[in-house]
Amino acid sequence: MSQLSEVAISALLVISGLFGLVGSWGLVRLRDTLQRLHAPTKATTLGVGGALLASMLYFALTHGQVSFHELMISVFLFITAPVSANFIAKTHMLHHVQPEELPPTGRATGWAGYEAAGQGEGSGN
Amino acid sequence: MHSTFLFLIAALPFLGALIPGVTIRAGRTVCAAFALAPTLLALVLLGLLAPSVLAGEVITARIEWLPALGLDASLMLDGLGLLFAGMILGVGALIIIYARFYLSGDDPVGRFYTYLLLFQGAMLGIVLSDNILLMLIFWELTSLSSFLLIGYWTHLPEGRQGARMALTVTGLGGLALLAGGLLLGDIAGSYELSVILTRGEEIRSSALYLPALLLILLGAFTKSAQFPFHFWLPHAMAAPTPVSAYLHSATMVKAGVFLLARLWPVLSGTPEWFYIVATTGLVTMVVGAVIALFKNDLKALLAYSTVSHLGLLTFLLGLGTPFAAVVAVFHIINHLTFKAALFMVAGIVDHETGTRDISRLGGLARLMPVTALIALVAALSMAGLPPFNGFISKEMTLDAAAHAAWQGNGWIIPALTTVAAVFSVAYSLRLFVHVFLGPVREDYPRRPHDPVPGMWAGPALLALLVVLIGLMPSALVGDLVAIAGGAVVKGALPYYSLKLWHGVNPALVLSVIAVIGGVILLWQHGPLLRAWAAARRPEAKAIFDATVAACVAGADRVTRALHGGAISTYLAWFAAFALVLGVLAWAGGAHVPGSRPPLPIPPTVAAGFVLLIVATLGVISVHRTRFLALIMIGVIGLTVSAGFVYLSAPDLALTQISVETVTTLLLLLALNFLPRHTPAESSPAQRLRDAGIAVCAGIGVAALAYAFLTRDFSSISEYHLANSKTGGGGTNVVNVILVDFRGYDTYGEIIVLGIAGLTIYALLMSLLSGAAGRRLRNWRDTTPRSRDRHPMMMVVATRVMMPIAIMVGVYLFLRGHNQPGGGFVAGLVVAIAFLMQYMASGFLWAQERQRIEYHALIGTGVVIAGAAGVGSWLAGRPFLTSSYGYFTIPPIEEFELATAMIFDLGVFLTVLGAVMLMLYSLSRMARVAGETINIEPMDVDPSRRAADGEKEES
Repeated sequence: MSQLSEVAISALLVISGLFGLVGSWGLVRLRDTLQRLHAPTKATTLGVGGALLASMLYFALTHGQVSFHELMISVFLFITAPVSANFIAKTHMLHHVQPEELPPTGRATGWAGYEAAGQGEGSGN
Repeated sequence: MHSTFLFLIAALPFLGALIPGVTIRAGRTVCAAFALAPTLLALVLLGLLAPSVLAGEVITARIEWLPALGLDASLMLDGLGLLFAGMILGVGALIIIYARFYLSGDDPVGRFYTYLLLFQGAMLGIVLSDNILLMLIFWELTSLSSFLLIGYWTHLPEGRQGARMALTVTGLGGLALLAGGLLLGDIAGSYELSVILTRGEEIRSSALYLPALLLILLGAFTKSAQFPFHFWLPHAMAAPTPVSAYLHSATMVKAGVFLLARLWPVLSGTPEWFYIVATTGLVTMVVGAVIALFKNDLKALLAYSTVSHLGLLTFLLGLGTPFAAVVAVFHIINHLTFKAALFMVAGIVDHETGTRDISRLGGLARLMPVTALIALVAALSMAGLPPFNGFISKEMTLDAAAHAAWQGNGWIIPALTTVAAVFSVAYSLRLFVHVFLGPVREDYPRRPHDPVPGMWAGPALLALLVVLIGLMPSALVGDLVAIAGGAVVKGALPYYSLKLWHGVNPALVLSVIAVIGGVILLWQHGPLLRAWAAARRPEAKAIFDATVAACVAGADRVTRALHGGAISTYLAWFAAFALVLGVLAWAGGAHVPGSRPPLPIPPTVAAGFVLLIVATLGVISVHRTRFLALIMIGVIGLTVSAGFVYLSAPDLALTQISVETVTTLLLLLALNFLPRHTPAESSPAQRLRDAGIAVCAGIGVAALAYAFLTRDFSSISEYHLANSKTGGGGTNVVNVILVDFRGYDTYGEIIVLGIAGLTIYALLMSLLSGAAGRRLRNWRDTTPRSRDRHPMMMVVATRVMMPIAIMVGVYLFLRGHNQPGGGFVAGLVVAIAFLMQYMASGFLWAQERQRIEYHALIGTGVVIAGAAGVGSWLAGRPFLTSSYGYFTIPPIEEFELATAMIFDLGVFLTVLGAVMLMLYSLSRMARVAGETINIEPMDVDPSRRAADGEKEES
C-alpha cells in the first residue's frame, strides 16, 4: 500500500470520526428538538459516508477489488436519513407548534400535517 | 398371500370410512351400500382365511414400524381373532343395513357411516393385533370413535354427556392398560403377543405381575363396564340404537372380555386372578341383573342386562378353569346373537311407537307380529330357556359355577349365580310380556306396525341363529368354539359337550329354580318396583359429575396459581423452578473450577458490555413508559447484533438485525393500543420478590456461562464444520445446519412460527368480538394526530426502496447456502420491504394491492418445505436428506443447485407469511379502533394540489 493511499484513507477515517463526534456532541448540547435534529443527520451522512469511502478506497487500493456495497449503503442512508428527520420534525411541530405561530405558506395549500388534504388556507375558505 | 389378506381386512374399514362423506350426496341407500361394500369384502376375505385358521394355523403379517420402541405393525389371526373379527364384521354388516332404515333423512347419515367404519376398523385392529402396543393404539381408537358415535345426535344433551362419560371412563382405563401393557412387555421381553403368550410362567412369577395385572384389569373392566365402572354403559344408550346394538352388544364392550380371554394363558391361574376377576364378574352379574329388572326404559333394561352378561363372561374367565373359558367363548357367540337382536328390536319398537318406556307399551304382539316373534325368541334365549342357545351356555355356566368354591366356601358362587339367573329370567320375560303381551293400547305416541323388511331382516337372521345354534350347536359352531377356545386356553381342550340335554344334574336343578324364581319376580313386579323406587340408591351420574367437577376445580386452582394470566407470575414460577433445579444439581455434584485462562477484555468489547448493562438498567428504570422501554430494548438488540459481527457470526447478526427491526415495528403498532404508561399493579413486596428471583436467576445463568467459558469442551461444531461442504454442499455452515444437519428442527420451527402467526390472528379475532373489541370501539385517542400521516417523502422513498430491498432479499436467499443469508433472513428482509409500504401508505391501501393470502403463504411454505423433505424418500433416503449438484447454463458461470434450496424456499414463505399475518392482525385492531382508510397513497400530494390550484386560478 502506498503512502499516499494510506494517508487518504486515514484522512477520510479521521474526518468521519470528527463528524461522528460533532454529531454526538451536538445531540447532547443543542437546546431543543429542532436544533438537535441537525446533529445526527450530519453525523449519519458525512460521518458514516466518510467511513464508507474509506472502506471503498481501502479495498480498491490494497486488495484490488472494487466494492460497491458501500455505495448501496450510502444510497440507503441518503434516502432514509431525510425521511426520519422529516418525521421527527413533523412530530415535534405537531406537539409543540400551534398553527397560528406558523408563517403563511403563500400558496394555495397550507402547512402539511395541520390540515386535511384539500382544505388549504386559500382553497376552501 | 394370507398375510396380504390380513392387512387388507384390517385396512378395509379405514379406507371405507373415507367414502360415505362423498356418497351421501347420492342418497342414504347408496351411502349405505358403499359402507357395506368394504365390510362385506373384509368378511369375504376373512372367510377365505377361515379354513386355514379352523385347521389350526395362525396367520401372521408384519411390517416393521418403530422397531426402536418395539412397536411393529404386526397382525395375527388365530381362533379367538377369527371369532371376534367374524362377529365385528358380520354384525357390522347387519347394522349398516339396519341403520339405513333406522336413521331419518334429517340425520347426517354420511357422518354416521364414517364413524361406524372407523369404529369397525379400530375394533378389528384390537382383535387382530399381534403387537400389544399396536393393540393399545386401536384400543384408544375405539374409545375415540365410540365417543363420536355415542354423541352422534349432538343436539341431545344426554348424548353429549353420555359420550363424554364413556370417553372419560374408557379413556382412563385405556391409560391404565397402556401402563399395564408396557409392564407386561417389559416382563416378557417383547411386545409381541405371540411371544408374551409363551412366557406365562415368567410373568406369573414376576414381582411386577400384580401391578401389571391390576392395570390391565382396570383397562378391561372399564371397557367391559364391570362393577364399579358399569355406570357409563347405560348412559351411552343415548346413542342411536344401531350404535347401541353394535357397540354395546357385540363389539366394544366385548373388547375387555376379549383382552381377558387373550391374556388368559399368561395371567390366569393365580389366586389374585381368581379373586379379582371372578369376584368382580360375579358382583357385576348380580348387580346388573337386579337393576335391569327395574328399568322402564327398554334400552336401559338391555344395557343393564348387557352389564350383567359381561359380568357373567368375566366371571367365567375369572374362574381360571379351561372348561369355564370354553363356556365363555360359547356364551360370547350366544350373547351376541340374542342381544344384538334385542337391541334392534328395541330400536324398531322405539321407531314405530315413538317411545321406549315399557310402562307406556304393551299389546304390541298383535300390531307387530314379526317383531314380536323375533323378540320372543331372543328374550327366551336371554332367559336361558330351551331349546335356544342361551339355555346351553347358561347350563354350562351353572355347571362351572357349581364346581367353584370361594375361599373354600362351596355354595356362595352357585347361589349368587342362581340369583343372577333368577333376575335374568325375570327381566327377559318382562321385556317380552310387558311390551308385547297384554291388551292393545290406544295411547301409543304413534300407530305401530311392523317395519319394512330391511329393518327386521337383521334381527330375524340373528333370531334364526339363536334357534339353530340352540338345536344343533356342535354342527353350527362346534368347530369355531373349539378353535377359539383352544386359542384362549392354549393347550388341550377340556371335556365339554355342546348339546341341549345333559340329563338331570345340579345345573338343571339350579336352572329350574331360576325359571320359577324369575316367574315369581315378574308376577310380583309391581310392588317390587315401588319398593325399588322408594329405596335410596347411589346415583352414578351424580357421583361421576361431582368427581369430574372436583377434578376440574382442582385443576383450575392449580392453573390459576401457576398461570394466573400475569406474565410476571409465569416467569416467576419458571425462573424459580429452574433456579431450584440448578441449585439442586449444583449441590449434588462436585464442582471443579475451569482451567482455561481468561482472555484480556478489549476496549471494544468492554464498551459493548457497558452499553448492554446501561441499556438493561435503562429498561428497568423506564419500563413504565412503554415507548422508551422499546427504544432501550432496541439498543440491546442492536448491541447484541454488533456482538455477533464482532465474533464473526454475520448470519446471526443479519438475522438479529432483521428480527429486531420487524419486532420493533410490530411492537410499535401494538403499543398504539395500550396505555402510554404501565400502571404499578404489584405491591412493593411482590416487586422485591420478583427482583430477588430475577437477580438470582441472572447470577445463575452468568455462573453457568462462566463455567462453560472457562473450560474446554468439544461440541458438535467440529463435525458441522468438517462436513458442511462435503455433506451438505454449502460453505455457509450456519445455513447448512439449518437446512440440512438440523433440517427437521427447522421444519418444526417454521411450523411453530406459522402456528404462532395463525394463533395471533385467531386470538385477535375472538378478542375483537368480545369485551376488548367493545372497549376498542369506544376508545377515542386523545393524542393529537397529524393530518399528514402518510407524508410524500416517506411514500416516495419506500416505493424507491421496495424493489431494491426485495432484490436484496433474493440475493440473500440465493447466496444463503454458501455465504451469509438464507431463507429466514430473506423472508424477514422482504417482509420489512412490505412493512414499509404498509407504514407509508396505510394498511388497507397496501393490502388492496397484494393478492396473496397470508394464511395460504404460511401453508404453502410448510408444504414446500415438507415436500422437499419427502422428496428425498423418492431417492430412497431418509426424510430431509439434501442432495446437490453443479450445473452450467451458458453464459452464466457454473452454479450449484441443492434440494436444500427448495426447503429454504419453504422457510422463506412461512416467515414472510407469519410476519405479514401478524401485521394484518394488528391492523384489524386499528380498524376496530376507528382508524380511517385512505384511498390515496399519500395525504398531501403536491402534484395534484398544483393541478387543483391551476384549475382554481383559471
